[in-house]
Amino acid sequence: MEHLFAVQYAWLIPLLPLIGAAVAGFFGARWLKGLSHWPIWLTVGASAVISVMLLVGMIGHMPHEASQPVVIDGQVKSIQPRDGEQFLREAFAVSVTRTIYTWISAGSFRADVSFFLDPLTAVMLCVVTGIGFFITVFARGYMAGETGYFRFFAYLGLFIFAMTMLVMGDNLVLLYLGWEGVGLCSYLLIGYYYDKPAAREAAKKAFLVNRIGDFGFGLGIMLLFTAFGTVSYFGQPGPTPDGVLELAMIPRTDFQRLAVQWAPFLLMLGAFGKSAQFPLYVWLPDAMEGPTPVSALIHAATMVTAGVYMIVRCGTLFVGNAAAMALVAAVGIFTALFAATIALRQYDLKKVFAYSTISQLGFMFVGAGLLAPVSAIFHLVTHAFFKALLFLSSGVVMHAMMGHLDMRRMSGLRRILPKTNILMLIGCMALSGVPFLAGFFSKDEIVIYAWYYSKPAGALLLLTAFLTAYYTFRLYFRVFQGPLVQPAGPAEGHGHDNHAGHSDDHHPQSHVSHGSHNHEPWVMIVPLVVLALGAVLAGYLNWPERHASLGGFLGQSPSLLLARDVAQARVGPSLVPVPFGAEEYADGDVRERMHALHTRMMAISALIACLGIYVAYLLDLKYRDQGEALARRYPRVARLLEARYWVDEIYQAGIVEPLRRLGAVFFAIDRYVVDGLVTGFGLFPMGIGTVLKVFTQRGSLQGYALLMLLGVVVIVFLVLR
Amino acid sequence: MTEMVLQRFLAVGSIIFAIGLLGFLTRRNLIVLFLCTELMFQGAAINFIAFGRFHENLHGQAFVIFLLVIAAAEASLALGLVVLLFRRRNTLDADAWKELKG
Repeated sequence: MEHLFAVQYAWLIPLLPLIGAAVAGFFGARWLKGLSHWPIWLTVGASAVISVMLLVGMIGHMPHEASQPVVIDGQVKSIQPRDGEQFLREAFAVSVTRTIYTWISAGSFRADVSFFLDPLTAVMLCVVTGIGFFITVFARGYMAGETGYFRFFAYLGLFIFAMTMLVMGDNLVLLYLGWEGVGLCSYLLIGYYYDKPAAREAAKKAFLVNRIGDFGFGLGIMLLFTAFGTVSYFGQPGPTPDGVLELAMIPRTDFQRLAVQWAPFLLMLGAFGKSAQFPLYVWLPDAMEGPTPVSALIHAATMVTAGVYMIVRCGTLFVGNAAAMALVAAVGIFTALFAATIALRQYDLKKVFAYSTISQLGFMFVGAGLLAPVSAIFHLVTHAFFKALLFLSSGVVMHAMMGHLDMRRMSGLRRILPKTNILMLIGCMALSGVPFLAGFFSKDEIVIYAWYYSKPAGALLLLTAFLTAYYTFRLYFRVFQGPLVQPAGPAEGHGHDNHAGHSDDHHPQSHVSHGSHNHEPWVMIVPLVVLALGAVLAGYLNWPERHASLGGFLGQSPSLLLARDVAQARVGPSLVPVPFGAEEYADGDVRERMHALHTRMMAISALIACLGIYVAYLLDLKYRDQGEALARRYPRVARLLEARYWVDEIYQAGIVEPLRRLGAVFFAIDRYVVDGLVTGFGLFPMGIGTVLKVFTQRGSLQGYALLMLLGVVVIVFLVLR
Repeated sequence: MTEMVLQRFLAVGSIIFAIGLLGFLTRRNLIVLFLCTELMFQGAAINFIAFGRFHENLHGQAFVIFLLVIAAAEASLALGLVVLLFRRRNTLDADAWKELKG
């Protein structure tokens, strides 16, 4: 492993995009201008190549022995009772730690800039840099001619840097660095159109809501450090447990036990904020004010999945804690259903996909919470493909409709956007879970484990899947099918009012006659085709019963290997190994049962997806007015969904306003009590001065000289005394 | 130079300084005031020179050179100002500018 080129030069993966960002940022405004995408294209592309090389190299180095099931006479030998040293050595068969330099060293605290390369990191890197690269390609077409073109690409490069640091870091502090870095880039990119008040507000909201989560996250890291004295995940490679994730498996003191009990809840808060889960999801729909490639890259494919990554990475901390895992799963289920219902009555294309992203992230949390980290990451990967595809496709629509996103004002666009029509259809089918596309397999796995552990949870997820299929195809049928309707004139105050007439081949008259104008330039369509291929094929990555499948590969990650051990110690050896990517360790009986359940669940969810699509076909294509009529029949429900359960208003009234009033009180205290004290002390010498002025400052030169002489005499007397 | 001799020099310096100071405190004429400050300068300069001789080094003389240069520069400025002030009020009385108090 060590000698692999990609491992040797893994430090280039974050560094190159940072260099690209610096080049674009410092030289873009004056010299590069419209060529500012080149440094980002080249560097992110190179990072993607190294990431793929890393992934391929790791697959090549997977141990073959591990595929031998430890089954003796039909009985599973749990890995639990094995010799600890042997086990730890095996756990790090496919992982490398590469330390670049010591970053912080203060007393016993030490944080290195050090990269931990294991299968989980490799998969995340490929998603981040690979999908990131195609989105930057798309952005060249989408952002062409915007003011601040270089700024956009510089931020994108910075984002890729922060995100790769997040997934590559080998300690919690580096994770936190990446975590805050992506938060910053998210803030900058949401507020890209900073001359629009809505964009500014959305950027601020995203930043502040994330602060709440990150506060908990930071506390969690501090708690873990105080308890275990290290922030490194796995410490030095070797048989002695010296990383925080290893030590958390064997808490020795009472305080350590307490930390293991509470740290997951604190870390989880950060995950809920970053991954837009229930109490803290409110920033993501507003974040759609940013340019569409940003929505695709940051707010759908990569950054928002950081929470899922963190929970899976810190598996040993989480899986042993039944309450924390139950909370993660419960929040995931609730968010999935909650966001899906809101998406039913949204008319803004990007808002629908935003709520859909929140809902799908909920699925991932369910996977992570129900001891199925492989399916969580699997869904993360497939979701990155099809959600990026959907966002970028709606970007094409937005581009062609001059900034309009309201699906009530457009219809039948397949006539003017034929290629986008097909790509969008693929994306919608993948999201809805139409059989044999990516979303079908990954969503299914999560539903199966949910069903296995708790039937109501599985049923709720199936309901969510039905709603997902409905709202996705409601959008598709309304926008792309039916009679051709186009909004007249550029959108006012929405998205890109400054978008019209900037594109390299945009002419004023082409806004009137749409037919003559190419809305689908290759630079925007090619990345979409690649993403569509991913949306079709990514589902086959985790083909069951394959050692080299995504599951088997991820199962080699120490995070999953060790967490599997902890999970088995908690819930028994039965099903656990399968969703931890170690199918061969599972009991034969359980595997049989799982396969039966798998087949049945596939049929059920395929049926449910088709049903959802059929309902959408009826309500939003065939009898289009019937959908609205149905909504009018239940005005309260429709109103509730359209108002998004008034959550924003409740937060405004329940949290923001009281805080503002508290702020006013503090301001008054600061102004009148603290400042009053300071100015009060200032008044004292001022008063003396005023009194003295009357007697001494009379304008006679001699008087001044005399006073000066007296002063000098007094001082000399005091000094010489 | 003995200590006795030094004391005499210092006495002369102090007397010149005191004359300047008294003149500054008692006279009203701006030019005389200015001359008095010069007198104080010279009193201080004599002290410097005396101490320089007493310690048998050049520090005192070096100081005095600087002092003279500064005094000259200051004289040119101050006399210019006095001329301007005189043109305004047609008098050299310092009390004519009493309203300049803060």
